[in-house]
Amino acid sequence: MSNAYDTDIPDSVDPVDDDCVEPAGEACVYTEYVEGEAYDDVPATGEGAEGVERDVWDTLYGIEDPEMPVSIVDLGLIYGVSVDADDGETVATVDMTLTYSGCPARDMLQDQMREAVEAVDGVDRADLRLVWSPEWNLELVTEQGKQDLREFGLSI
Amino acid sequence: MRRADPSVTTSGDLEGAECPYCGSENTVRDHPKGPSLCRSMHYCNDCEQPFERFE
Repeated sequence: MSNAYDTDIPDSVDPVDDDCVEPAGEACVYTEYVEGEAYDDVPATGEGAEGVERDVWDTLYGIEDPEMPVSIVDLGLIYGVSVDADDGETVATVDMTLTYSGCPARDMLQDQMREAVEAVDGVDRADLRLVWSPEWNLELVTEQGKQDLREFGLSI
Repeated sequence: MRRADPSVTTSGDLEGAECPYCGSENTVRDHPKGPSLCRSMHYCNDCEQPFERFE
């Protein structure tokens, strides 16, 4: 059977016995949020960011949700961005979430983000960290995001 | 035992979602799930347009 939907579990998540008899190769119907470090000030919008950090934010604003024409920043998926030097490299760390933990577009979106952020001048490496606290909800969508979603035909 | 698929359960109202096109709340829900798990299908009786609601 194809392994296209192989379930990779992030390092930050403790695998939970979910009663799936044969998880490999079969879609598992059960996903669970895992509590982690809580972020107080979400969504992050990059307000006040400068320099390379500003450029990373601008790049993120240019990336749309795979399903809807709304920036992932306006959708409220980004919880934080920091740019630091690490062993001679400049690393952009992006803390992000997804609308739900079993999001099928996870790899697609992260690959796209990694490529875009690493293309920013002054960034050598992108480190994308998936976090689930607080859980994403509709209140994290910015006013601009709500407007974009309404134009797309979504009631919000 | 395998748990019930969470995608068949839903929350949200059967009617009264705000139409994104005309703003009317004279709407009905056609289906609890849309093209993705986080959306449901609705219909606006005033402007006669189908739309989705973010759940």
